[in-house]
Amino acid sequence: MSEKNITMPVSADEQVNSNQTRRSFLRKSVAVAGGAVIAAAAAGRASAGAQVTEPLAIPPTNKILGRGVVSVPYGLPSKYEAHVVRRNVEWLTPDTIASISFTPLQDLEGIITPNGLHFERYHGGAVDIDPSTHRLVVHGLVDKPMIFTIEDLKRFPQKAAFWFLECPANGAMEWRGVQMDSLQFTHGMISCSEWIGVSLLDLMKAVGVKKEATWFYGEGADGAALQRSVPLPGAKDQFGKPLPEFDTNEIYKDVIVAYAQNGEALRPENGYPIRLIVPGCEANLSVKYLRRIKFVDKPLVTYQETRHYTDGMPDGRFRQYTLVNEANSVVTFPCPDKKMSGKGSYEIRGLAWTGRGKVKAVDVSVDGGKTWKEAKLLDPVFSKCLTRFTLPWEWDGKEALVMSRVTDETGYVQPTLRQLREQRGSNSIYHKNSIQTWKVLPNGEVHNVQIENL
Amino acid sequence: MFKSKISKTALAAGLMAFSSMSFAGDAAFNGIGKTIDEKAIAPWAISVHFDGDGLPAGKGSVAQGEPIYQAKCAMCHGEFGEGAKGYPKMLGETVEQIHALAAKDEDTVGVRGINSLWGHAPTLYDYIRRAMPFFAPQSLGNDEAYATTCYVLYIAEIIKDDKTVCDASVLKATKMPSQDNFYTDPRPDIKNARCMNDCMKEAPVVKEMAVVGVGKDASSGKTAADH
Repeated sequence: MSEKNITMPVSADEQVNSNQTRRSFLRKSVAVAGGAVIAAAAAGRASAGAQVTEPLAIPPTNKILGRGVVSVPYGLPSKYEAHVVRRNVEWLTPDTIASISFTPLQDLEGIITPNGLHFERYHGGAVDIDPSTHRLVVHGLVDKPMIFTIEDLKRFPQKAAFWFLECPANGAMEWRGVQMDSLQFTHGMISCSEWIGVSLLDLMKAVGVKKEATWFYGEGADGAALQRSVPLPGAKDQFGKPLPEFDTNEIYKDVIVAYAQNGEALRPENGYPIRLIVPGCEANLSVKYLRRIKFVDKPLVTYQETRHYTDGMPDGRFRQYTLVNEANSVVTFPCPDKKMSGKGSYEIRGLAWTGRGKVKAVDVSVDGGKTWKEAKLLDPVFSKCLTRFTLPWEWDGKEALVMSRVTDETGYVQPTLRQLREQRGSNSIYHKNSIQTWKVLPNGEVHNVQIENL
Repeated sequence: MFKSKISKTALAAGLMAFSSMSFAGDAAFNGIGKTIDEKAIAPWAISVHFDGDGLPAGKGSVAQGEPIYQAKCAMCHGEFGEGAKGYPKMLGETVEQIHALAAKDEDTVGVRGINSLWGHAPTLYDYIRRAMPFFAPQSLGNDEAYATTCYVLYIAEIIKDDKTVCDASVLKATKMPSQDNFYTDPRPDIKNARCMNDCMKEAPVVKEMAVVGVGKDASSGKTAADH
């Protein structure tokens, strides 16, 4: 941010004469606007005492007519926001068809992910499905197997809620050591939307699910035809052992077949025309391009449940059905992608979430975990949804170790990386929800680090 | 239209009664969608459970699977199942080797194979018929899928006899080496405390060596995480 940026929005009657007034004006701006203003404010402070004396230039846009309505029938972000895009890591997967991209969390405000920035995870690529020919079949242990058009599904009562979707591999590259010097790549396998659709419970009533049904699975109409087993009350694994009570009794109640996302139809990247949403759980359960739901009395133990989304443990065994995404949080400012610009007042900002309900509290440390201070949670705080937290910070310009730690409504406290490794080793790939540390350098740069003894 | 106040009121009452009756309340929504015969669903009902439920009729041999595998699978999974271009191995380290590596916290991610991380042969059939070959999913017939599954099990050293012909009963009877190497999620498995002051006795030991960042070359990194 250059000095130029601050001269633009300040109109003649807002010109300030004393440092004090100037500072209070900037503080006010910080409160109402985003990161750009923070940076500008810092630039202003760096030259504290320097009063603006140059007469202000007339903005060139004051002297032209702009575009007419519907010149862009479906609106696009400003051309100055072209850097805010999904990104992938080429070496992570052998191709881009069975691959993943990351949401640019560093550039997003609030809790909602714009649809075009929702992270992508394909097991067989994104496909374009004609909704007029697409069908959903619901069958298995039911009184009457049924088939629905998209129009049929839209006649059912609507259920809508704000929920995050997160790949269980979020943070996977960091198990063995620091690797990605970017918030987008350490935590960008998560997005959050308002999802709108039909409650699974209503579909269950419509087909008359039998008591013997203890699992169901969804299946996609794409090349991966991805399928995942989801537990119902009474679910047991293939060894006859019951699944955890939360998994069997809570997860399915929130499930919907979604046809809309943030006010519009699902995007092809997110499963158009319909997908399952299994809130709070690893996102691969939320099968995209959904064509079939079957109620059954045992799990599939399919590819995704044996070879793929299973977590390797230090004893050489693998955990299965690690469905819930446990509480996690990350500071989104400052972060490696958004540097500091001079000492002074800042607001530390971040995101917290949990698959087990609501975020109860977030604590922030700037000294590597020696002391913590409770942050403010911004409304709204929804269940299984991203929650925004903030905490004012007066940066003295010295090295700092910034981190956040969430506690959820079950009392679960986000673990440290050392605790995770002690329990699970470094080979489990999935569900790395440990406390993230950013190191702030005196020059304002921010880097990804790990604290070995926290 | 109405001659008296009474008839208007009566009509209003009648309408109200009618409308309250027509709201469904908590009752199930009926009459939406069509019922469908299981036979009509059959072309979509391709899922196979771990115990072999759902396996179709048909068969295919190791010998019949070899040319299919070499033509359609080897370019990604290796001529001998050793993996290629970052795609998964068919023959990885054994379960015992995985246990030994894991105990030392050495890498077990890149060395997994069908022989060490796949619980049941019927679901291997399911996956091959459903999603393979990668560039042409659902292009193998039931018999071809049996033959390919049979060959993959052979190069993964699970089926030892190269004369084996695989069908539903053979796949059900084939015990995978890792069948009992799985267990259901025990989380929450870690209990952190919400300490606020004097939380660390020593100075933080900070590790840093990040290689990839936004604006840097995302392709310059090293090992690939296994997805």
